[in-house]
Amino acid sequence: MTDPTASPPPPEVMIRLEGLVKRYPGQSTDAVSKLSMDIRRGEFVVFVGPSGCGKTTTLRMINRLVEPTSGRIWIDGEDVTDVDPDRLRRRIGYVIQQIGLIPHMTIAQNIGLVPKLLGWDKARIRDRVDELLELVGLDPAAFRDRYPKQLSGGQQQRVGVARALAGDPPVMLMDEPFGAIDPITRDRLQEEFLKLQERIRKTIVFVTHDIDEALKLGDRIAIFGEGSRLEQFATPLEILSEPANDYVRSFVGAGTGIRRLGLLRIADIPGGAPEPAGRGAVRLTEDQTVHAALEEMLQAGADEVVVASADGRGERSLTMRDLLLAAARAKGEAR
Amino acid sequence: MSAADAVTVEAGAPARGWVLPLIAAALVAGMLGYLQTAELDSIEARLLATDEILARTVEHVRLVAVSTIAVIAIAVPLGVLLTRRRARLLAPPVLGLANAGQAIPSIGVLVLLAILFDVGFTMAVIALVAYAVLPVLRNTMVGLRQVDRSVIDAGRGMGMSPLQVLMKIELPLAVPVMIAGIRVALILNVGVATLATYTNAGGLGSLIESGIVFNRMPVLMTGSVLTIALALMVDWLAGLAERFLRPRGL
Ligand SMILES: Nc1ncnc2c1ncn2[C@@H]1O[C@H](COP(=O)(O)OP(=O)(O)O)[C@@H](O)[C@H]1O
Ligand SMILES: [Mg+2]
Repeated sequence: MTDPTASPPPPEVMIRLEGLVKRYPGQSTDAVSKLSMDIRRGEFVVFVGPSGCGKTTTLRMINRLVEPTSGRIWIDGEDVTDVDPDRLRRRIGYVIQQIGLIPHMTIAQNIGLVPKLLGWDKARIRDRVDELLELVGLDPAAFRDRYPKQLSGGQQQRVGVARALAGDPPVMLMDEPFGAIDPITRDRLQEEFLKLQERIRKTIVFVTHDIDEALKLGDRIAIFGEGSRLEQFATPLEILSEPANDYVRSFVGAGTGIRRLGLLRIADIPGGAPEPAGRGAVRLTEDQTVHAALEEMLQAGADEVVVASADGRGERSLTMRDLLLAAARAKGEAR
Repeated sequence: MSAADAVTVEAGAPARGWVLPLIAAALVAGMLGYLQTAELDSIEARLLATDEILARTVEHVRLVAVSTIAVIAIAVPLGVLLTRRRARLLAPPVLGLANAGQAIPSIGVLVLLAILFDVGFTMAVIALVAYAVLPVLRNTMVGLRQVDRSVIDAGRGMGMSPLQVLMKIELPLAVPVMIAGIRVALILNVGVATLATYTNAGGLGSLIESGIVFNRMPVLMTGSVLTIALALMVDWLAGLAERFLRPRGL
């Protein structure tokens, strides 16, 4: 089914889905119908939508655990619709909600699986395992030789993430990875994962049914309706400020104005006066959210916030009015 | 088929670990002691000479060992095949056949084989295999089917081939249930191998048979006691294997 006329996407596109269709045998409707989208290199894209709308199916077509009925998939400039799926999957990290650590293998063996499949030598695998355990916040000496069932759910999913990163794949597919983890641990894992992504800059496709998780994590969010209809594919801020239709509006829910404040960094707010610290103003840094700034100001009964730039040089002061007006106008650009 | 279909022999707790071999040793010691002191007539003395007893025991162990190895060699690959998705339609008829193998009395199979073909070791092994395939086949299938789908999915998702998933994930995780089935097959074979005497394959059954035919109680007793002691020892060893071959981390 090679189409000689298909030309590869431009280099900044890491994943291109082209008219992707999946109809499972014996079904009368498509689980995914005519889905096309481009995902850029280093982008963190979140698929969100109600249960059964085809998110998992789409994700699993990208690594060919599900074979598309029709359509094409491009990864890193290569048409992978017909390549050997086992080899393809070794280049794509895959994390699932059930984690799926192999119970009779140690943590080190689990993480070392893909490197072993890729034919790395023992010493290189050992170093990589320790590096990855450090990266996901687990002490290698303490965890390397344990078995999965000796770890908590949160620790197991850290290993799940480390295992998916082991072969240093450019692309990571994550299917509700934090869905079965208690809310407090989930929050921590989300925060840590965002920090991790800032360092590793993988192209990530992340599935969730939780719009708040999507807004918190995604550079761009794809909101799916029934039958994998792509209702909107945009930045979190755009989705909150300019929902494409009623479906998106109702899916996102109430309080979008307030929720936007949590997505804006103080750094996104222009203006402010150069101001020496003093008079009991609240002090924050540029990388904190407008939501956090307003919260602090309300708590302290202050009308002003003094913001230190992230590098510690330079300060400016913003009033509550500055923050609210700018936030109300802010549209579009992602953090 | 669910996990409830798997046959199991309850694993002995560590504290009970030495009970079986001790009973077996006591039985054998008691029997030997009796043979030392009893006054045996010429038939008994001939049948119960140390060489004779040893030869019968070795024959019996050989029958059990060869038939159990054959059972494993047949049932494990068959169980793997029948749990592959493409072959799932084959499972009911093959399981039906294995069920029949166990339902038909072995003595009937043995006599039939002897009439149709020949007597001897091979015929005895065939009868034993027919009888003992079911527990190993069934437990292999149950053991493979109870492997967590998400673990298999993760393996495939990482780029393991179907064969690698089978060898590195599915079979190791099925081992405990498979060994339980093999243990049942072994115990069945120790008992059913006493019938091998009817196809001239020897074994401890020929002591029992001679005991009955010549009406010699000591001979009959010796055959029975040794069979029981052997069954106990085999069960004990299989229990040990079960403990040591279970993958770590489960
Ligand atoms: N293996 C399968 N066979 C048949 N239908 C399936 C299969 N997997 C998923 N489906 C169907 O496809 C649709 C999309 O499923 P899925 O991709 O799992 O949705 P989501 O991940 O968004 O909840 C659902 O209607 C589901 O019932
Ligand atoms: Mg899903």
